[in-house]
Amino acid sequence: MTEQELEVIARAAGLEKALTEFRDDLRIAAKQADDLRRALAKPLGPADEPWPPMRTPEP
Amino acid sequence: MTELHWLSATDIADRFAKRTLSPLELADALLARIAKLDPQLNAFIRLDPDQVRADARTAEREITSGQRRSSLHGIPVGIKDIIDVRGVPTTCHSKILVDNVAKADAAAVARLRAAGAIILGKLSTHEFAFGGPSFDLPFPPARNPWNRAHHPGGSSSGSGAALAAGFFPLALGTDTAGSIRNPASCCGIVGLKPTYGRVSRRGAFPLAFTLDHVGPMARTVADTALLLDAISGHDAGDPGSRAFAAGASGALNQDVHGLRIGFVRHFHETDMPADPEVGKAVETVAVTLAKEGAVVSTVVLPNLKELAAINRTILHGEAWSIHARWLRERPGDYARSTRRRLFTGAFLGAGDYVDAQRRRLQVIAAFEAAFRDVDVLLTASSMDPPCRIDDAEAVARTYPRQARTPFNVTGHPALAMMCGLSASGLPLSVQFAGRFGDDATVLRVAAAYERAAGWNERHPALAS
Repeated sequence: MTEQELEVIARAAGLEKALTEFRDDLRIAAKQADDLRRALAKPLGPADEPWPPMRTPEP
Repeated sequence: MTELHWLSATDIADRFAKRTLSPLELADALLARIAKLDPQLNAFIRLDPDQVRADARTAEREITSGQRRSSLHGIPVGIKDIIDVRGVPTTCHSKILVDNVAKADAAAVARLRAAGAIILGKLSTHEFAFGGPSFDLPFPPARNPWNRAHHPGGSSSGSGAALAAGFFPLALGTDTAGSIRNPASCCGIVGLKPTYGRVSRRGAFPLAFTLDHVGPMARTVADTALLLDAISGHDAGDPGSRAFAAGASGALNQDVHGLRIGFVRHFHETDMPADPEVGKAVETVAVTLAKEGAVVSTVVLPNLKELAAINRTILHGEAWSIHARWLRERPGDYARSTRRRLFTGAFLGAGDYVDAQRRRLQVIAAFEAAFRDVDVLLTASSMDPPCRIDDAEAVARTYPRQARTPFNVTGHPALAMMCGLSASGLPLSVQFAGRFGDDATVLRVAAAYERAAGWNERHPALAS
């Protein structure tokens, strides 16, 4: 992730204060997110449902 | 004769029943030990000795007058400080909540009080049950009684350290990515992450709603089962709560003859290669259980690294949702290690979270398929013995090297316990996991292993 991308995402998340005071921590967090995304790169099928299934009240 | 501080809860209950020990006598002995040794271990965040003595006197009076409420009556229980105890702060070991006085008991604490247990203080945790041992928080981190220079695991670090130090026989912990089982592993005790929904989460500060569990920690399997039975039960105040059959203690004395145990070797052999001492110790557990009559076979599950990534993605997404406001307004009030972890959720999108939840369903199906062929899974717990607490690099490297997170993803019950000592004298550990709702069989296997191996008789030598 580039510095520019990091700034855009952090600002969109409302982390302006952290950008000023804890930019290194944001860089580490951004790398952790990238690493997780890479670790879960195996494709899913269109019909693979999420957990938990939708539950509705008993009629 | 066993010293009072090493007595199990079941032994204590027996002595109370026979009137050879009183709740006040026990409380005084434990409080004296805590006063002498806790300054070395930092297990407690808050302890009110006068209140403990008052509660012990009340229990003594009730038991003596024939009003014994349960096997836990008069027995002290330590509470991790993310779990509410009415009238005292739930700090989550954080500046953020340092004045957060609980208005009511958590559901599990209320059950303990109803059973007559004595609430023996609030215990250290990693900040908000996340992060790791930190030195930039309002309270110092707990240390490992086997070697104070090493960490005790976490996040239920005070619970694990205090049990291993003989400060009380029972404790409550919480577990989102292994936080009951990590200190159990590092401190040489027993910790159970119950089936998701068995123990109410109401009143425990959330880290990740769909991964969080409240559970029992103790020095013996029987005590773990006793505490589980006391805190289990459906609670309408927890949307994830479910009613399960009671009686986790029921099968403890059964042997394991014919029980099918699936050994997940690839977790520690290839997915996250373990320290050789850990690998050898876990192999020895399989041999021991086979000698006891269990049928041990090798089981293959999804790769541990993928399972860990699913856990982390869900955890970061849910934790961000809980902490975003404070991270925006008060980022400097978190420990650095917690802040770095919590910010991660800001860099994951909705698609990442939903993808992880879709993979979660596949993983649950894979584990359910395995449980059609075996009754219990056997895995490593921590891949390394606990490292030095002041070595931040080693903590960051070794903390994720564990096989506990899969069972937070799937919700199956999982227990960690001691299975050896390293050459440097630190505990090694094993993990047993069972079918959804079948905590009793997990405890049965753990009890059989405990009887055969006897590691619960070993305690750290604390300098007094």
